[in-house]
Amino acid sequence: MAKFIIRRTLYMIPILLGIALITFLLFNMAGGDPAAQAAGKYATAERIEEIRTELGLDGPLYVQFGRHVQQMLTFDFGRSWATKQTISSMITSGIDASMSLTVPTLIITQIITIALALFIAFFRGTLFDKTSLIVCLALLSFSSLVYILYGQFSLAFNAGLFPISGWDPSWVGRWQYLILPILIGVMLSLGGSVLFYRTVFIDQLHQDYVRTARSKGLSDNVIMYKHILRNALIPIITVVVAQMPFVIVGSLLIEAFFQIPGLGGMTYQAINNADFPVIKAMTMIGAILYLVFQLVADILYAVVDPRVQVR
Amino acid sequence: MSDHIIEVKDLSVEFRTDEGTVKAVKNVSFSLPRGKTVGLVGESGSGKSVSSLAIMKLIPNPPGEITSGQILFDGKDLVKASDTEMRKVRGNRISMIFQEPMTSLNPVFTVGDQICETLMLHQSLDKTAATKKAIELLDQVGIPNPTERVKSYPHEMSGGQRQRVMIAMAIACEPEILIADEPTTALDVTIQKQILDLLADLQKKYNMSVLFITHDLGVIADIADEVIVMYRGDIVETGTCEQIFTHAKHPYTKGLLACRPSLESNPERLPMVSDFMDEAGNEKSHSLDLDKVHKYVRPIDEQKNPVILQIKGVKKHFPMQKGLFGNVKTWLKAVDDVTLNVRRGRTLGLVGESGCGKTTLGRTILRLIEPTGGQIIYDGNDITTYDRSKMRAMRRKMQIIFQDPYASLNPRMTVGAAIMEPMVIHNLGNGKAERIEMAGDLMDRVGLSRTMLNRYPHEFSGGQRQRICIARALAVKPEFIICDESVSALDVSIQAQILNLLLDLQEEFDLTYIFISHDLAVVKFISDEVAVMYNGKVVEMNDAVGIYENPQHDYTKKLLSAIPKGIPKTLMPAST
Amino acid sequence: MKATTMNAVNVASNPQLEQGRSLWYDAYLRIKKDKVAVISFFTICFYLVLTLLSSLGVIFDNYGVVDNSLTYLPPSWDHWFGTDLFGRDVLARAVHGTKTSLVVGFAGTGIAMAIGTVLGACSGYFGGKVDDLIVWFYTTIDTIPYILLVVAFSFVLGPSLLTLCLAIGLTAWVRHCRIVRAEYIKHRDLDYVQGAAALGASHARRIFLHILPNVFHLVLINFSLGFVGAVKSEVILSFLGLGVEPGTPSWGVMINDAKQELFRGVWWNLAAATLFMFFLVLAFNLFTDALRDALDPKLKNK
Repeated sequence: MAKFIIRRTLYMIPILLGIALITFLLFNMAGGDPAAQAAGKYATAERIEEIRTELGLDGPLYVQFGRHVQQMLTFDFGRSWATKQTISSMITSGIDASMSLTVPTLIITQIITIALALFIAFFRGTLFDKTSLIVCLALLSFSSLVYILYGQFSLAFNAGLFPISGWDPSWVGRWQYLILPILIGVMLSLGGSVLFYRTVFIDQLHQDYVRTARSKGLSDNVIMYKHILRNALIPIITVVVAQMPFVIVGSLLIEAFFQIPGLGGMTYQAINNADFPVIKAMTMIGAILYLVFQLVADILYAVVDPRVQVR
Repeated sequence: MSDHIIEVKDLSVEFRTDEGTVKAVKNVSFSLPRGKTVGLVGESGSGKSVSSLAIMKLIPNPPGEITSGQILFDGKDLVKASDTEMRKVRGNRISMIFQEPMTSLNPVFTVGDQICETLMLHQSLDKTAATKKAIELLDQVGIPNPTERVKSYPHEMSGGQRQRVMIAMAIACEPEILIADEPTTALDVTIQKQILDLLADLQKKYNMSVLFITHDLGVIADIADEVIVMYRGDIVETGTCEQIFTHAKHPYTKGLLACRPSLESNPERLPMVSDFMDEAGNEKSHSLDLDKVHKYVRPIDEQKNPVILQIKGVKKHFPMQKGLFGNVKTWLKAVDDVTLNVRRGRTLGLVGESGCGKTTLGRTILRLIEPTGGQIIYDGNDITTYDRSKMRAMRRKMQIIFQDPYASLNPRMTVGAAIMEPMVIHNLGNGKAERIEMAGDLMDRVGLSRTMLNRYPHEFSGGQRQRICIARALAVKPEFIICDESVSALDVSIQAQILNLLLDLQEEFDLTYIFISHDLAVVKFISDEVAVMYNGKVVEMNDAVGIYENPQHDYTKKLLSAIPKGIPKTLMPAST
Repeated sequence: MKATTMNAVNVASNPQLEQGRSLWYDAYLRIKKDKVAVISFFTICFYLVLTLLSSLGVIFDNYGVVDNSLTYLPPSWDHWFGTDLFGRDVLARAVHGTKTSLVVGFAGTGIAMAIGTVLGACSGYFGGKVDDLIVWFYTTIDTIPYILLVVAFSFVLGPSLLTLCLAIGLTAWVRHCRIVRAEYIKHRDLDYVQGAAALGASHARRIFLHILPNVFHLVLINFSLGFVGAVKSEVILSFLGLGVEPGTPSWGVMINDAKQELFRGVWWNLAAATLFMFFLVLAFNLFTDALRDALDPKLKNK
């Protein structure tokens, strides 16, 4: 197992290099002169030169790239152009707000969609199945923005069931602000998630082992909840793990609308202000988290599926 | 109490498909006597598997449905039984094993858990008692070291072992009936023999009634007391095993028995079902002399049959396990130092079980896989040294016909385009019109109509597709053809037609064949020389008659003794 | 089991060839029978006609007419979906917004399909070093959060319709590439491709003439899926201020404007854009689903 993890970690090195290369190309080179952008429209040439030194943009390309890689590895991304705070402190202060939104959203979504999909797969081929399919596709046909806008407008603004937006840093106080965002977050992935799991379960239902299980006299419930759900764990892990980076970096749209001071909201502000260092930092953190969670997924596969060879 | 534990009366099963309703089983009646083995035999699409699934009420619905009839199990009609009642029968009083041992077990549970599940469900045992029983069962079905193996996962076992686990699971509750749906079809012949012996033992021990479904008459003869023959959803004949094999009445049964190549006879051409029966199913008079055995060994004529292909020390090794930095740690020696000679106008049979390297060798000879070492000398030139353009020109002379007729034709290309493609590549024929003419001639030659050139592969049956593959191979006017399990996926009646066609073509075009197969009887019928492969090596080589009459190597002997004799037990020459 | 009919029928005198039924034609017949698919298809066609007519100025040529006295009029017979801040007819804006979505959808997804198909085909077919390189490339791209990657592209290129298409096209190919690669790995070892190799067919012939037609249904399905993704991305990018040039009618801009308007009771801008987008995307979603059923060879061989 240790060897397996080491090998998978080594495999991450070229990808990390790739991430460094692409973010460097996008943010440091192609995006115009960062120093000029940071200085604003009316800066003098000297001021721009100063900022250039400040940002470390004065050396030759390979030195700049080296500094870029160093930033990525040490998680020291410098300061935001807009707020002038260090980015690492901004991240540490935003992470708990983000996660108190995303963790419940993820858990509730998975439980609801898996249950629904099992239920629909059980009635596969019937009118109920076909109707559910169309309903899911219809849910998928609205823009995420519409869910958020309409949810906020009708449930919070019109009906007054929830506060429109806002935040309370205390653990008890924040929940009143979180219920609606979580509800909307679940709605956003409901259709797609149910469709995906339905396909997974129906795929499993066609496997030969299901016929064997039925020939043993097992009831449909045992087959569904024991045999099929256990085999479907792999796609479930894939989906959940792919969501994990967003659990940490937060939901850009929802945090922006409900003014939740998380990383998603921070990224939104950064995009609005063209605050390159923050966008770059979030891009690299997202990428690294994705890589790390892929490793976690591989380890989990080996745990739940005896066929996966750990060598 | 009736003598018959199962009585099926007027059973009909229909499947609803896009193209309309298909009657898979039509008003079929048969019965299963207590404590006997009944063989249900038929070719693909005969309705044999559907009938057996109907007894368990496991027909997938939709699209399938039992539309009429009764299935009386101990006097109770299973067709009318509720789902709850059925569940008490399944796995408890009637159990079933399937064709695909590789996929029929749940991959994420240990085999012990899966056996225990049945025991805990029907016999209300607790986990400890069930595990103890599971270990006993594994021991009984011949799994070595059962206390350890009970914790194994299916993927850690071989195909034969998995089938044994399936059997252990099926007999766990000592059922009255065991339904075995082609349980040995996916297994090698030596493993097949072990499983058949095991089933026969268990049948006797528990005095079960066994319904054994198979397409293979040889297996039926070995195991069955009574035989039911199905054809296109109907039962055409029933009788004791002896009656069927000696005095078959229905022309289909007669044809089916005759068209099977066997180790005992050496006919020049195989009889075909169409010799016995016309399209409508009526008997046809034929002029075949079935008892006459042609001892047929073609002598080697040095002038006419020079050595055309020499395979010298050919090796193909695949990397199996890689180290941290991609360095290969262990190699799979799929083909390990093989030396063979093939003579012009003759057929070399290459026989062996799955994984012995015969297919890899075939593809290496054509350089579809690059050899790791050795020489392949065709007509005096070592083709392993050829560059790409020289090799492409060479491909005109050497062709291959594959096993799976469903995979070997491009589904998006008309068969005409498929047959003409090699002509286009090698610049044969003058323009499209002439190529169409040539393709039409080839279609005629392989027994298909030239009007079908614009059709697509999915509009043809398996046997017809194999004919198209042959036509495509012939399009470049080759000298040498490798037939890689080319008849293995076909029904026996179709197999006979294709084998005869291959022999006719060999005579007409002076073709040289390497015929690769796992089926010793087929290889014996078609080959002049036979090479036996085992673990990547050729262990024995002799002429086709000699190797069967006088096998030298232990492995060859083992292979030969494992083949079902195709003669009912009662008719066997006095065994000790 | 038509075995017995195959004893050579002599038809040399009658060279008339029977017409074959290709798998594409089969799929077409299946889609034709599927009512939902037919309705979806005509809905998509309706949008195409709408775009064509409005672009030519035949209908709704008033989309740019500004009249500040008509600000935020609620729906009426004159203005079915009311007017916006500048007094422009919302229905006309929504109709013209169709063009933006269709352009982004077709061009963006087209670019993605082209890149994904070619890279996936080469990667899967050749394997080895080529495969390693391409897999490394798309894994890297895939690792970076999609929306931030699109944002970065948009920043680099500056906001415009072309940027939208490029940003979406250059980022959305990864999923498709992965699927095509897997298919090519499967197909390159199938007997029909091996058979072509044995006949002397070149690599290009095998990649494009033999395998491509057999995986092309995936291109169609993924195109349809990608289209939906692109239309939705346009909305999000508009919200982030990285959409089309100001003044160009777009559903994303309309939905985005609603975040202030809604609280003033102006719901029609949102309603118009949402409805227009909903029916187009739903039609594509349903059509994709039907396409998958009709083209899936797994169901075919049963």
